[in-house]
Amino acid sequence: MMHKKICMLGGFAVGKTSLVRRFVTNLFSEQYHTTIGVTVEKKVLSVAGEDVTLMLWDLYGDDEFQRIRESYLRGSSGYILVVDGTRKETLATALGLQQTVEGLLGPIPFALIVNKSDVRDVWEIDDAALSELRQQGWTIFFGSAKTGEGVESLFSTLADRLLKQAT
Amino acid sequence: MRTHHTRQASQSETLCTELFVALETAVLERVDQTDTFSLQGTLPAWWPSIFGTTTPPSTVRPGERSPFLKQFFTEAEQSWAGHAAGLMRSGPWTERDRHGTTLHLEATALVVDSRQLLLVARLGADFEQARTTLQQAREQALRHAQATKLQTRTESRLTSQLSQSEELRDDLLGVLQGLGLATILTDSQGRITFISDEAAGLLNLSTDRTGQRWDQVLSCSKTDRDAIWTRLRNPAEQHDPLTLHLETDNPRWLDVTVSPHPRHNEKRILLFHDTTEIHDLRRLLDEKARFHDLVGSSPSMMQVYQLVRDIARVDATVLIEGETGTGKELIARAIHCSSARKQGPFIAANCAGFTDSLLGSQLFGHKRGAFTGAVGDQAGLFESADGGTVFLDEIGDIPLNVQTSLLRVLQEKEITRLGEAKPRKVNVRVLAATHHNLSEDVARGTFRTDLLYRIRVARIQLPPLRDRRDDIPLLASAFLGHVRATMGKGVDQISPDALRLLLSYAWPGNVRELKNAIEFAAIGCKGQRITATDLPPEVTRSQSHTPLSTWMLPTTNHDERAQLLRALNQASGNRSEAAKLLGMSRATLYRRLANYGIDIPR
Repeated sequence: MMHKKICMLGGFAVGKTSLVRRFVTNLFSEQYHTTIGVTVEKKVLSVAGEDVTLMLWDLYGDDEFQRIRESYLRGSSGYILVVDGTRKETLATALGLQQTVEGLLGPIPFALIVNKSDVRDVWEIDDAALSELRQQGWTIFFGSAKTGEGVESLFSTLADRLLKQAT
Repeated sequence: MRTHHTRQASQSETLCTELFVALETAVLERVDQTDTFSLQGTLPAWWPSIFGTTTPPSTVRPGERSPFLKQFFTEAEQSWAGHAAGLMRSGPWTERDRHGTTLHLEATALVVDSRQLLLVARLGADFEQARTTLQQAREQALRHAQATKLQTRTESRLTSQLSQSEELRDDLLGVLQGLGLATILTDSQGRITFISDEAAGLLNLSTDRTGQRWDQVLSCSKTDRDAIWTRLRNPAEQHDPLTLHLETDNPRWLDVTVSPHPRHNEKRILLFHDTTEIHDLRRLLDEKARFHDLVGSSPSMMQVYQLVRDIARVDATVLIEGETGTGKELIARAIHCSSARKQGPFIAANCAGFTDSLLGSQLFGHKRGAFTGAVGDQAGLFESADGGTVFLDEIGDIPLNVQTSLLRVLQEKEITRLGEAKPRKVNVRVLAATHHNLSEDVARGTFRTDLLYRIRVARIQLPPLRDRRDDIPLLASAFLGHVRATMGKGVDQISPDALRLLLSYAWPGNVRELKNAIEFAAIGCKGQRITATDLPPEVTRSQSHTPLSTWMLPTTNHDERAQLLRALNQASGNRSEAAKLLGMSRATLYRRLANYGIDIPR
């Protein structure tokens, strides 16, 4: 079976762990638990008739307390940038991380999800900024770990791209 | 000695093993530079739940169980190969054991005595403490960011609201200035918080007076200031404006309205209206509408005033004609006061109701013993009025023999006291008045023709009040002012209904009746304003009972007779009431009834 390492990247408290948890166990907790270090979760997906094990590396949030350790990124087939729609600054963090990863691993498949679409009325991130990224070829999802919106399609779309790239 | 060293080495090894167990650390030695490791010493208790129940010195491949470790081996290769100095740590990672419990681990790669070792430690209390601290720091950062965001949003909203308010204020200010409203806003201490351009201009203020008290800015009398303070303490929308006189280089009359601020109870809005022009015009109008004690600005009265001025310039005898109550004596006084004789006396005599001798005595004086009761010498009115004016009212009622004496006065400028033979020179101007038609009296033989011509050198016809209704409000207002001053009552207005009645009533008793009606109303008035119900009953009744046209009286004797009869009829034969309706005394009424041969049984 094919194994694919996918790193979850983003600022702190954007919902990386919640997205992985929702995807792997279909659970959600309102309580925020900061991640220290790395948690690796696995989930087998069937993509285009082929089973693939996604190794989801849930990395700690990038901030002034913890900087992403480049060694964790090595061996990634793809990555997911997570942004909190209610915090504009998390988009800037994601853009910075994307630059880091691309500098380290080259142009590997990735997707960006603007999380917390369940509270879209208080979003600070506007469509203008995102449409600019779309024009640059970025794959952008709107979703919510809380409601599950967009979570499945996020991972399956990225897995599909990884497989296509592999073949 | 050797045995001692061996024992010591054995003890150290045991100590190390116990130490690693205590630190919950597994020690593994790399086998043949592969991902296979042999277990060393005693394994910590947590190890089997993740990596299986292998016991030392068996070999394991922990990378197969943990993808994290597997990737770390690649990194650790640098250390094991001696390319990197010292230790290489993996950093913390999390594994879930077969029971689902999460364990936080950290791996360390190192080389000791050329042996490539891997230490896998379970992170304990220190790690949890660090995690808690980091969690708190991040939650704090989130809260701070949230608070900052809220503050920014609030600030933005407030800024926007402030901007809108300022815009609205500017708009309103623009409208206010555009409307030219002279406005002052004051705070609870009476300090000015806003003053419009119009107000600044009106009050002659060249500098900004915001912050000062209004009474330091308004130059007016203490009475006016006190009145404004009273209004400021008890403002109300329905109050009539206060009128104040601005005592500056450019004096003005201002109407001031004090209103409460719609949102702040303690604030006040003062609105000023410049009424200087109105005051000036009113003054001019008053001057024009008043002539001595006469009131009226109707064209007919203006003609009378002019005639009085003309007549006053000469010394001719004047006959003043007009219905009772039209103000004949006032005209006589006006002529006197406008004439060259104004420093001299003015003596008025009513010629009606006297016997021949009594009237002669009154006018010309008498000598002691001239008639019964003449106990001493007595000068007559003509002598008393020497150098001045004598006004003979009701001259049509003078008996014929007195008419002869009067003619002599007019012709010879001399009088003879009763009981004396020697005439005395007098310098008197004679003004006469009558409600009679003297021409008819001459025709009836009750008045001397030559006397008529002597007294009618100049002639003034006074219009009845019904012919100058435009003067009624002016007269009513003047009488009300007089009543207010004499009675001390605060009555200062006449309601529109009452005024309508005053305008529609026929006023057979003319101005005198109007004056009486106003006095009557003021006495009964309970408030500041005379209402229709305060007016005398004949005035209030007139609208329903008496068509106006019935009182349009011409001035012939025939019509006067009809007028007397109509008044008696309306008063149901009550002569006192009829006299009141006609605005004359009961005595005058009786005399006139007798003149016209009207006999009413008592």
